[in-house]
Amino acid sequence: MSNPAPHFQLSLNTDVGAIHIDVTLTFTAPWTILFGASGSGKSTILRAICGLLPNARIFSACAAPEGGALFAEASVKAVELDGNYMRVPPHCRQIAYAPQQPALFPHLTVRDNIAFSSSLHQPANPQLAEEALSLFELHKLSHRSPAKLSGGERQRVNLARAFARPDTRLMLLDEPFTGLDLRLRDQLIPRMQQFLAARSIPCISVTHDVDEALLLDAEVFRIDSGRILAHGPARTILADERTRLLNALR
Amino acid sequence: MDLAALGLTLRLATVTTLCLLILGTPLAYWIAGLASAKTRTLPRRIAQAAVALPLVLPPTVLGFYLLVWLGPARAPGRALIHLIGHPLAFTFSGLVVGSVLYSLPFAVQPLVLAFSHVDRNLTDVASTLGASPLTVFRRVVLPLSRTGFLTAAILTFAHTVGEFGVVLMLGGDIPGLTRTLSISIFDQVQELNYTAADRTALALVAISFLALLLVYWRASSPETAVV
Repeated sequence: MSNPAPHFQLSLNTDVGAIHIDVTLTFTAPWTILFGASGSGKSTILRAICGLLPNARIFSACAAPEGGALFAEASVKAVELDGNYMRVPPHCRQIAYAPQQPALFPHLTVRDNIAFSSSLHQPANPQLAEEALSLFELHKLSHRSPAKLSGGERQRVNLARAFARPDTRLMLLDEPFTGLDLRLRDQLIPRMQQFLAARSIPCISVTHDVDEALLLDAEVFRIDSGRILAHGPARTILADERTRLLNALR
Repeated sequence: MDLAALGLTLRLATVTTLCLLILGTPLAYWIAGLASAKTRTLPRRIAQAAVALPLVLPPTVLGFYLLVWLGPARAPGRALIHLIGHPLAFTFSGLVVGSVLYSLPFAVQPLVLAFSHVDRNLTDVASTLGASPLTVFRRVVLPLSRTGFLTAAILTFAHTVGEFGVVLMLGGDIPGLTRTLSISIFDQVQELNYTAADRTALALVAISFLALLLVYWRASSPETAVV
């Protein structure tokens, strides 16, 4: 059987603080996890994909022909090519991103935070914001100010806001389940996977939680000090971590 | 009290405030480093120091330079005279130019402070949600900087109401045209008319106190807190 076609390829070579990141990643699975300890460079990779690292050089970032271009036709005109150096401003990338820190807009209600992206797109798509509110069980909180939310509630709004971005071709989630209780996390994972699968949106998430990686049953890139150590299914790549956890429980 | 001077002072302060909010906003946005993550720091610090110059320079120095450079003796002044048909010195427009430069830090610094307090993560997230830089400014930065705009407007207005040196150097003391309240007080004291000077001074104290009260009252608003 041949390997599935990649939906996104990325080569990144950059220095961020003390870390030198040098990775080449080919994403084929519906859900891919960048797994590693804090400070290994996994969040930086997500920010580079979004275009939030102005000095990061991304080479050969492209989508598979089957998936179409990752950037909207209008935005392709904005691409400035300097050799292979790709400079597309973040707002022109069809990439949804939920950062590790929720960073909710404090002057907007929960509903307006979630509808922020759809209100920018023409025609407006309020239905998507409603679906995201339902997906993350936020209807009861929709008129609240972010200042009146708990940590877990803020994180759900953060995720819902990314999921409510129209025209998304790639979903990036940085430590998406931080602050959520395990019961809710276990409920949300299949719903999120279903939502993304229904729209053919691949997802790349970042975690250092073995349990979460195994639960997602995703493709895993194991990263340390800005380099890829291993790549494969979660159960294979994280087998040693799983054994260590089981031993700790005995 | 010299009502003509009061009217002229309020008109000058209003026009200066509007001009500075329009000109100072993009300048402050750039100095605060929100316009682009790639902007280098040195040019921004140089601009910040230049903007703050009127805070430490004697107003007469600024007035003198403006008088010379806007007059027929220098190329910029000659170009301006060619363009508008008369020199800017001793006109209301000249007073506006002088006031805009003299009050520049009072508008730009509160705006820089307000923009600097907007969490970079908020603008980053907004851009990944599809907001262009202009939309990020309009939908995120502007609402979170309202207090800064109000402070800038009030301080600029109050500072322009009270300016003396630049106005005297650049505008002279022409009744109804360039004589502001502060110059009117000077004239009244020169004429030993202390009763009139007292009333005018009291009016300036009241305007300035109300302006500062508004600033401190609004500054206590916690609306820029980031969640």
